[in-house]
Amino acid sequence: MSPAEILNKLTVNFNYVVAMTLFIIGLYTIISKPNLIKKFMGLNIMETSVFLFVVSSGAVMGGKAPIVGEGVSPGTVFVNPIPQALILTGIVVAMSTTALALALIIKLYEQCGTLNADKLKEIK
Amino acid sequence: MKKGVIIFALFLLWVLLVAAVIALPPMGSSETPAYTHVVPRYLEKEVEEGGANNIVTGIILNYRGYDTMGEVTVIFTALICVLAVLGRENIKRHTSKVELSSVEKSVIVKSVVRLLAPFIILFALYIILHGAESPGGGFQGGAILGASVIVFTLTFGFTLGMKKFPLKYRTILESAGPLSFFISGVVALFCGLNFLTYMLPCINHAYQDLVRHLLLLIIEIGIGIGGGTVIGSIFFAMEKVEKE
Repeated sequence: MSPAEILNKLTVNFNYVVAMTLFIIGLYTIISKPNLIKKFMGLNIMETSVFLFVVSSGAVMGGKAPIVGEGVSPGTVFVNPIPQALILTGIVVAMSTTALALALIIKLYEQCGTLNADKLKEIK
Repeated sequence: MKKGVIIFALFLLWVLLVAAVIALPPMGSSETPAYTHVVPRYLEKEVEEGGANNIVTGIILNYRGYDTMGEVTVIFTALICVLAVLGRENIKRHTSKVELSSVEKSVIVKSVVRLLAPFIILFALYIILHGAESPGGGFQGGAILGASVIVFTLTFGFTLGMKKFPLKYRTILESAGPLSFFISGVVALFCGLNFLTYMLPCINHAYQDLVRHLLLLIIEIGIGIGGGTVIGSIFFAMEKVEKE
């Protein structure tokens, strides 16, 4: 594949490239930040990148929102509804895990007085 | 040094991921495998089989009904776990940082929230009830409902917020999501059909479509009210501070 072709592919799949970059940013936040809340922010950025990736894979150029009924002419191109339905599930699960993680962090702060993961390791 | 190693390793991973993107089918094309496999059937047959004009709602409540039931149970389980870790708030024992703060709340914020709160709740109800016909649905409306509880409590304080959304009603409404699913699902068992079937051939043909819409509406309302209450309850449990 020539460099021009690769560049063309990357421009067409621009959403995927942004999703991969967000994934790396989230992973970097999880690894490098010692603060537990920032770690979970990084996890949420990673989740968002996955949502962006899957929803983008369902996009169709010029497609309409998948709602049928009166006023929709036959032959209309719709976007793919399955990724949207899947990501609805994903968002709810992400919200639930974040709520539970924050609850645990609140309890941890009450008990230990710090959120620094490196300092928490030393506390016996 | 350590930071440099992390950044270098992550850069390598990024290059690998972007190399994988090059091999993916082009975005926005209707020829991708994701679009040609099962989607045409959903787009053509969903209104007949699922009974909702919004195909996304039809998929999550009908084709993927079990999945959505599990999802609603996940929200409920998250609430149970948060309450197990933090405990319920008590109007006699707890207050919040909003009341303890020495900063006076702005008149603008108070008036805007007081004026807008009813309209936010009205909009949430519209989103919940209109989920089968237009963009929206139970989860989205529930999130708006929960946000209205949060914005009200952050402005007017914990005591007033807990009076407006009393614990005794929330305790019942929190389980509305899973319960509405079970109620709507069990109806099909009396006709000898599988769990979570909404089209019931054992009743009069004229009423079949009406009953199906009613069952879907029960689920949507249950998810919306339940989800909103769960978000509010999680917020109350996190916000509380012991009184002196």
